[in-house]
Amino acid sequence: MQLPARRLLEAPRRRRNLSRSARGNLLGLLFLAPAIVLIGIFTITPFAQAILLSFQSWDGVSPDTPWVGLRNYEFIASDTTFWASMRNVLIFGAVGFVIGNGVAIAMALAVNSITRGRVFFRTVFYLPGVLSVVVVGLLFSFILAPGSGVLNRTLEAVGLGVLQQNWLGDPAVALPAVAAVFIWFHWGFGFLLFLAGLQDIPKELYEAAELDGAGPWGRFRYVTWPQLAPVTSIVSLLTLLAALQIFGTVQVLTNGGPGYHTMVPTLAIYNEAFVNWRYGSAAAMSVVFGGALVLLSVIQLAITGRRSRA
Amino acid sequence: MTTEEMSTTASSISPDSPAPRRRWRVSPEKVGIYGLLIVAALTALYPLLWMISGSLQTLTELLSNDSFVPADPQWGNYVTAWVQGELGVYLINSLFYTLCAVLGIMLVSSLAGYALARLEFIGKSIFTFVILAVMIIPAPAMFLAQYKLLISLGLTNSRLGYILVLITAGIPMATLIMRSFFVSQPRDLEEAAALDGAGPVRVFWSVILPLARPGLAAVAVIQGLGAWNEYLMALVIFDDDALMPIQRGLTAFTSAETPQQQILLAATTISIVPVVIFYLLAQRHIVKGIGAGAIK
Repeated sequence: MQLPARRLLEAPRRRRNLSRSARGNLLGLLFLAPAIVLIGIFTITPFAQAILLSFQSWDGVSPDTPWVGLRNYEFIASDTTFWASMRNVLIFGAVGFVIGNGVAIAMALAVNSITRGRVFFRTVFYLPGVLSVVVVGLLFSFILAPGSGVLNRTLEAVGLGVLQQNWLGDPAVALPAVAAVFIWFHWGFGFLLFLAGLQDIPKELYEAAELDGAGPWGRFRYVTWPQLAPVTSIVSLLTLLAALQIFGTVQVLTNGGPGYHTMVPTLAIYNEAFVNWRYGSAAAMSVVFGGALVLLSVIQLAITGRRSRA
Repeated sequence: MTTEEMSTTASSISPDSPAPRRRWRVSPEKVGIYGLLIVAALTALYPLLWMISGSLQTLTELLSNDSFVPADPQWGNYVTAWVQGELGVYLINSLFYTLCAVLGIMLVSSLAGYALARLEFIGKSIFTFVILAVMIIPAPAMFLAQYKLLISLGLTNSRLGYILVLITAGIPMATLIMRSFFVSQPRDLEEAAALDGAGPVRVFWSVILPLARPGLAAVAVIQGLGAWNEYLMALVIFDDDALMPIQRGLTAFTSAETPQQQILLAATTISIVPVVIFYLLAQRHIVKGIGAGAIK
């Protein structure tokens, strides 16, 4: 029921809106273009290509990559190194997840409860986190060396000589030793996020809990823990993903040895391609392992999403 | 700031500190907490202090493990490491790659973040989803095919290839940080500038970017650390020593020359000096950047 006059008035305005939205489209796409082009070329294309490559055979040099169907997958299905690496990384992920996060949250609570020296401890605790995997690997390969390593020598000096180990050479202790190095390297990251999360909890909640007669444990259980839940879930996921993708530290420390006792999937993929020149089966490994990681992230995000909506 | 804090910590734990008596009422609980924190701090610092100590010793002294403080500091180890390890070349390469990567990421992701936060266009939600989704594609799933792609583009063993890979790796998280930053900013200034007749590119360059400095700082520090410490792609891409960044150069040095342990410790110490200084100076931004990157 519009009057013709009004419609006449509106027509040109609508046309102007249209052209403005066309310009907006152009501008938006233009601003976004560099990001999308780079991600398209260097992330999405290789992701798709990795899947394609897992059905092909390639020696890393020749231009032709013949189609071999499921042969690569059959090959890796019986590849003991790869499956040993998957098992190791699961242990590794579990240890990093439980102990790494445990240390991180405990230290965040401790730093949050003190008044003096906060900045000092925060600075020191994250310091290992700014080092590179190569530096950490090199450093600990000296510290954990069997004969002259400073750890064994120190144990002997303080009368704990019985605890000496061939830390990186003994199949029984190599994996825990590498896991300990990872935790030393990585716990500061979770610590920083937990500390930031703790500082965001409103003081009133603690005051209210105290009025209700909650002790230290009650305050932790009913205020800190639930308030920290979003941080906990993201830190857990990121720590787990970092542990599962460990590569450089292990390569420099043990190169997967002794035997395959500290082999991890990323290193297995790297070796399969760049040492054994079997890029096809390396691609199949990366599809299996990468797919598992993607699945893990999706599940975690879905759970978090549902929890925050509930 | 840090040294100041350090000295206050030191005085609060030393028994003969001249702190007022009233303040020295410590509960056993506090003593326990500080004890725990000091143990953790020593655990974090000890390997690094040992590295510096070892880098100043002779090989005999180092292997005998007698002294933590070197009897006669061997500053010459640093010269040997610098010359033998060609650390100058590697450090300059790393600096160049990091700088290019950070500038590239800042430019690309502030454009993209602004578009996602403020502009209306077709497919916006799809693009947002894509940028979020690529964040969960892990490096182990891609690095092989990335290598293959770089071969076909003629970008292996190339500075440009490495920089493009670094930039791409940083874009998703940086874009999300910038987007959430722009969402939280008021629109008044850009609207005023637009009314004054400035075009959109001009508005972006001279109004929006300068205002976005805190967001850009967070992006810069976190991506700078990431680029400086990157190892996997450097390993895959470079064969030529003259092009390698420091992380790759250090492993090349270890495996090719088999230098003595104290020289390698000196080389390792040199390699972390830039990043540790950067960390101590930009700490606050780093803490904020890591928070923004992970939580947002």
